[in-house]
Amino acid sequence: MYKIAIQKKGRLTEQSLKYLRSIGIKVPKNGREMIARSDDLEILFLRQTDIPEFVEKGIVDFGIVGENAVAEKRYKVRVVEKLGFARCSLKIVVPRESSAKSVKDLNGERIATSFPNLLKDFLKKNKVNASIIEVKGSVEVTPAMGLTDAVCDLVQTGKTLEENNLVPLVTVLESQAVLISNPNSKWPF
Amino acid sequence: MNQIIQPKILKGTRDFLPEDMAKRNFVMEQIRKVFEKYGYDTIETPVIAYAETILGKYGDDGDRLTYSFEDSGGRRIALPYDLTVPFARLVAANWQDLPMPFKRYQIQRVWRAEKPQKGRLREFYQCDIDVIGTKSLIAEAEIARVVVDVFKELGFEDFKLKINSRRLMNAILESLGVLEDAPAVIRSIDKMDKIGEEGVREELEKKGFDSGKISRLFKVLAEKDFADYDTSEIYEFLQLCKDFKIDEEYLEFDPYLARGLDYYTGITYEVICDEAGLGSLCGGGRYDDLCGLFCKEDFSGVGVAFGFERIMIALEKMGKLKKIPLNSKVLVTVFDEESSGDALGIYTSLIEAGINSEVYFEPDKLSKQFKYANKKKISFVVVRGSQERAKNEVTIKIMETGRQKTIPENQLISYIKGYV
Repeated sequence: MYKIAIQKKGRLTEQSLKYLRSIGIKVPKNGREMIARSDDLEILFLRQTDIPEFVEKGIVDFGIVGENAVAEKRYKVRVVEKLGFARCSLKIVVPRESSAKSVKDLNGERIATSFPNLLKDFLKKNKVNASIIEVKGSVEVTPAMGLTDAVCDLVQTGKTLEENNLVPLVTVLESQAVLISNPNSKWPF
Repeated sequence: MNQIIQPKILKGTRDFLPEDMAKRNFVMEQIRKVFEKYGYDTIETPVIAYAETILGKYGDDGDRLTYSFEDSGGRRIALPYDLTVPFARLVAANWQDLPMPFKRYQIQRVWRAEKPQKGRLREFYQCDIDVIGTKSLIAEAEIARVVVDVFKELGFEDFKLKINSRRLMNAILESLGVLEDAPAVIRSIDKMDKIGEEGVREELEKKGFDSGKISRLFKVLAEKDFADYDTSEIYEFLQLCKDFKIDEEYLEFDPYLARGLDYYTGITYEVICDEAGLGSLCGGGRYDDLCGLFCKEDFSGVGVAFGFERIMIALEKMGKLKKIPLNSKVLVTVFDEESSGDALGIYTSLIEAGINSEVYFEPDKLSKQFKYANKKKISFVVVRGSQERAKNEVTIKIMETGRQKTIPENQLISYIKGYV
């Protein structure tokens, strides 16, 4: 019996189930239950943010998550395969009227994000000294509130950016869904 | 007018200015944190001690190098030469009140009446850990783990914890029939790195040892041919190191490792880092009956001393101490007499938010206040003129880049905290 965790409800759920079906796993209709059993496999429906941690601790054997979630919290998990869906980029974006034209122009500015570690590493690599304002959600509205000068967030279609009058400045990380496993797991991959 | 006294200090002692102290405290704190992680508590012993509790414990050389004097009450006083002997005295005096086995760390100054030269000081720090009151080899392995952890934590990469067994060394010397001269032989072998095999041979021959025996000793050590001797202690110790998950790349069994001091009886250790090129950075081993000088009770112990000053030199050389900040992070400037209350308001809000900061004392020219901030390596300078006050804003100058940023006053704390 082995366990695989996928996102309970969100942008990865449908395609994660589709992927499992494509590799021959009988996936029950996604009902309301948190655990679905099929042959010697247990599928657990969890919050995306908990999945890498559970894989790292060996509570579940595999998980399907966005690369960004693994990278931000620096989880020690093995990436078995990049799955090619749920592609998005972590970008730094600024208000359309901002004078910032490159990452260097962010020196001394306030940048809102839910990915403080990835942003910190990126700024350090680019030798930019800026203030990271950690926000849990609705990051993209903080410039309009006068709270911040830039935003570092996931961009998929760019629609949210447009709605909030934001334009991309630079890409921090490209991300897609990945199948991860515990590095010490008994599975050979 | 009074005669001016030269503000000089003794050779081999040092004044430490804030920048030096910031680095020293940073390193000491890292070492201390590792010790505490493994459950070591600390103690302190007096600087001035009865001479008889210090003298006669380190051989003739040690006595010669111990600071001692008579105080005005006619008592013979000595300053600690290391931390091991004062620790042994403390245990002998207090063992009934101490948990046994007793694990302690101690970071204190020691004194040596050396002729000062490069790398040889009269006053310096040692950082010791010891476990006393157990003969278990687990204590040896734990100390090995702590040592490796300290050097990794400090950012050393290319270092080796060399280990040997005094028991094995004694067995070899016994088979050669020179066990009673073990201390003399070991002191010579200790110099192998410095004077080479020929030098050691010459020294041993001068001490009157048979050249055939010297050759046999060198052969055993060079070929690591220990089939005839009891090596169980080494193997058991290495297995425990494995159980302690000590990375093997840091461990090296070195049969030449001698450690000059006579009182070692089991595993001995020494840390060498080629990158630093300073010789031993840490050393120690198992000793029996160190407290026997001070009490009838018999305590076996194991411990190491870290050479703090050499570690500092090594870290400095490796460029690991370049970015150690001083204490204040923010300077709140004072614009003019009437706005000093406003400046104090901002200053106290920063302090209360847990941000190390300070306020300038006088409404001097801003350029002078910035100069002060520069000298103290302060990262942010807060400026608030009448315009900013009217709009409830503050201007922050980021000293590293020279950039200025104006933000609402109520964002100041999250802005400063956002820099990591």
